[in-house]
Amino acid sequence: MGAANDINVLQFIVIGVAMGFIYSLVATEYTLIYNATGLVNFAHESFIVLGAYLFGGTFVRALGLPIWLAITLAIVSMVLFGIFASTIVLNPLRNLQFVTYAMFGTMMLSRIIIEACRLLWGPLPFTVKGFLRGSINIGSAALPTSYVYIIIVSIVIVTGLQIFFKTTRTGKAMICVSQNKDAAALTGINVTRNINITVAMSAALCGIIGILTAPLFNINTGMVASTALKGFCAGIIGGFGSYPGAIVGGILVGLLEQFGIMFFPATYKDVVAFGVMIIFLLIRPSGIIKAKKA
Amino acid sequence: MKKRIRMVLIWIVILTALIIFFKQSNTYIQSVINQLLCNIILVLGLNFITGLTGQMNLATAGMLALGAYTYGILTTSAGWNPWVALLAMFAVGLAVGRGLGYPSLRLKGFYLSLTTIGFAEIVRLLATNLTDLTGGVNGLNYIRRLETFFYKSEAKNDYFMILLAFTVLAILVAYKIVNSKWGRAYKAIRDNMEAAEASGIDISKIKIQAFTLSSIYSAIAGALYAGFNMYINPTSFTVAASQNYVAMLMIGGIGSVPGNILGATIVTVLPELLRKYQDYYWILFCTICLVMAILVPDGIYPLLKKTVLWLKKKLVKKSAAGEG
Repeated sequence: MGAANDINVLQFIVIGVAMGFIYSLVATEYTLIYNATGLVNFAHESFIVLGAYLFGGTFVRALGLPIWLAITLAIVSMVLFGIFASTIVLNPLRNLQFVTYAMFGTMMLSRIIIEACRLLWGPLPFTVKGFLRGSINIGSAALPTSYVYIIIVSIVIVTGLQIFFKTTRTGKAMICVSQNKDAAALTGINVTRNINITVAMSAALCGIIGILTAPLFNINTGMVASTALKGFCAGIIGGFGSYPGAIVGGILVGLLEQFGIMFFPATYKDVVAFGVMIIFLLIRPSGIIKAKKA
Repeated sequence: MKKRIRMVLIWIVILTALIIFFKQSNTYIQSVINQLLCNIILVLGLNFITGLTGQMNLATAGMLALGAYTYGILTTSAGWNPWVALLAMFAVGLAVGRGLGYPSLRLKGFYLSLTTIGFAEIVRLLATNLTDLTGGVNGLNYIRRLETFFYKSEAKNDYFMILLAFTVLAILVAYKIVNSKWGRAYKAIRDNMEAAEASGIDISKIKIQAFTLSSIYSAIAGALYAGFNMYINPTSFTVAASQNYVAMLMIGGIGSVPGNILGATIVTVLPELLRKYQDYYWILFCTICLVMAILVPDGIYPLLKKTVLWLKKKLVKKSAAGEG
């Protein structure tokens, strides 16, 4: 009894933490854009889907490239796409009179990308053969490879971002813009250029999320619909606008929903994140870690 | 007084034309028109919170679902009279408006848009999983329609008259509210929250009020929708549907009642017209929406209004020049 339970707990924790990191990455990716532009990017789900399609559909399946090259190319094309989307859509939208206009714009952008994916790659879901399959055995516990990779890659990205914000000029400028746009502009930071860089980074991150989640879900236009929504919840629970908050919130949601299965029917797994978010809004709306704003 | 008589006459002409058009159309066009009337009521509701107060609400489909399911369950398994069930929509609207508005509207920022997505998803998941109550994915069937003493409405055809009556009522009420003290307070919050607060408007109270109004409208639209289809299932109440209602609001022109009606009409009818492009109709429609969001953010109605004014000015100048 005891041994069987231990295995379950270890697997539960790994899967929970891995999903939690995915939510953290989603929260980080939209927090980047929120902090730079003051907009919530409702197109983020479609960015992730586009990344997965570029990687799985074009670079691996159609062109038959090796995985490492496909990943690099997918991320590079997402960066270019991010700059394009920022110039054509997000920057013009940012200057509109009301925020609701801009939110509507990003929603429509999202629909266009999703429809384009469906038209370009076809409506049938597909998988990337042999990519992050199988499992790693630790003692008697079998951990799926994809989850282990998610945890490792996420830790690298999260630490990398923190170092980027703390040490580089661009990173520091991004933090300045998030805290006070007018003051940042006055000190000579080019806000538009800053936004382009941020959106490109966010798009690249979306691409990485798409590649990481490709083994978990089949690649299709609705693959991350609920993951993207739970990323929003994770952001609010952790503290809207705060990067450490995004990580804490994401892992909390991942673990809660994994261990929730023990107490609730599995069909209500998706409700956990929303329920916790509403409780947080009632009791502590600033989240676990409050974002700094000037 | 004269102006009011003219307005009433215009209304009568429009309504008669619509009824005549409806009676001689085929069933497909009739069901599009019925859907349009439901959508108009919904968008008028959404206008209070998103259009006037400037708070993005993405729970429209969730509220619609709550209204539709409450009405459906009350008239089928509970066996209530449809009219009494319709009254229950006010209770549903109030409960949602207060319950969801209180946590999310006390705060500034995007909290409303994010919580409303969560709420709508919870409603959809419950509707899918509470199989005993809602029928799950198979949906709820044999929903009863509103009936009046002078006819029993069995065909979709007759139900149109009831829908039309409700739509007219909804338009009149919305028009009154938009041009009242409440409507001005909503706009003040959207335009400058600090200034509104300084002039004595209780921001969170007014925001919750606008949100509640919006929920009541949506719940009633949901009941009417359930009535005209006589069948509902969870697939009609997704986040994508909520975004569609926002599209209606934005494209028509936020804040004004004629703009809402225009927007609901365009977004309901345009995809039907674009259907001949088959696979590409949806991407075409979305691209039109995005281009409009960037180039004409205020919507079509203000643009029309400006054009008419400009033409009038031109004509007056011309006639003045002619006389001179």
